[in-house]
Amino acid sequence: MLLALTLSCLAFVARTGVFLGALTAVNALVFLLLRPQGVSWWRQGRYFLFQSSIIVALYIIRFGSLAGIWDGLLISWQLFLAFWPSMVFAKTTSQAKIVRAMNRIMPSRMSFVLATCIKFAPHLLEEVQDIYEGQVLRGARILPRDLIKPWNWPDVVRCVIVPAVVQGMALAGNIALAARARDFGLYSKRTCWPGE
Amino acid sequence: MAKSFVGRFSDSFRLPLKDALFLGFCAVFAVLVRVVLRLHLHISGHAMIIKIFFLMLGRGSTPCRYGASFTALLAGTAAMFLGFAKAGPLIIVKYLMAGVVIDLAAFFLPAMFGSYVLCALVAGVASSTKFFSAYAINALVGMDPVVNLQRSLLEAAGAITFGIAGGLMVPMVICRLKAYGVIR
Repeated sequence: MLLALTLSCLAFVARTGVFLGALTAVNALVFLLLRPQGVSWWRQGRYFLFQSSIIVALYIIRFGSLAGIWDGLLISWQLFLAFWPSMVFAKTTSQAKIVRAMNRIMPSRMSFVLATCIKFAPHLLEEVQDIYEGQVLRGARILPRDLIKPWNWPDVVRCVIVPAVVQGMALAGNIALAARARDFGLYSKRTCWPGE
Repeated sequence: MAKSFVGRFSDSFRLPLKDALFLGFCAVFAVLVRVVLRLHLHISGHAMIIKIFFLMLGRGSTPCRYGASFTALLAGTAAMFLGFAKAGPLIIVKYLMAGVVIDLAAFFLPAMFGSYVLCALVAGVASSTKFFSAYAINALVGMDPVVNLQRSLLEAAGAITFGIAGGLMVPMVICRLKAYGVIR
């Protein structure tokens, strides 16, 4: 986390091409050493190209000549290097490790809420999927081909979003009840099963 | 020291665990729905529709005065955990700015969640915080002020448009939840 933050901060202070080149080399080295799953060179490059094209176009409009191309590229390169380490960090560090790290700076109650919600989110997503399929079987006009027509959009809110919110509230109530039954919040310092 | 301060701060604003968990779900869904729906539209600000909807839902469906800010804090942290944060730790600030605007608006306009006009207005103002975050990041890397202003305005315009769309869904949901007696 510290390495990602340091590399991001260095990208903000780097003003020359040489400094940015060196920083890119360090970032690429970290990327190759850690080899994050689900992050490809193509995806990283596509993001950089999309961002650069907008910034360079704005620089050309601003300076009225092609002289702005280099400045625009430098800025978008800098922006990309500011965001890249965080992406690599998030892809290479397990959730448990991040929660443990965040537990040092966050109140335990808040980290419990966050960890529980992330853990139960797939379960809630499945329930939302069940609600969606049930409503489709009932004849609700919420299939992708129906949603091309904007007048069917309120049906999504009525048939899916409202029941999903009610389901979310019920699940939150059940988890809170289960946590209270296990004396959660009884002590200011959180206790947990050894090894967790 | 920072942890004890945050602990005391959260103790003084203690939130029932059920509400905290519901806000946590809003936060996690604010991050996840974007991925599930695969909204890679490459239109600046399109994520604002989901972000504003869940932040306003969090504030509107719980009696907590800082519901949107709490949801924003959790959403920003969840985005970092789940690896969807391009901006790194700055994502928390981005979410938090919109959350604070919604909480302040709800404090001064308690009936806003029943009005489409007020919700759209507040959603627009909350989305406009994108301008400040984009401007600050670009200024930090030393972008030309005029280009920075143009780019930030472009991003903010897209964010405001989508944010208003997200805000307009909120009164419909809140009214239904009130009608079913789920919230008071």
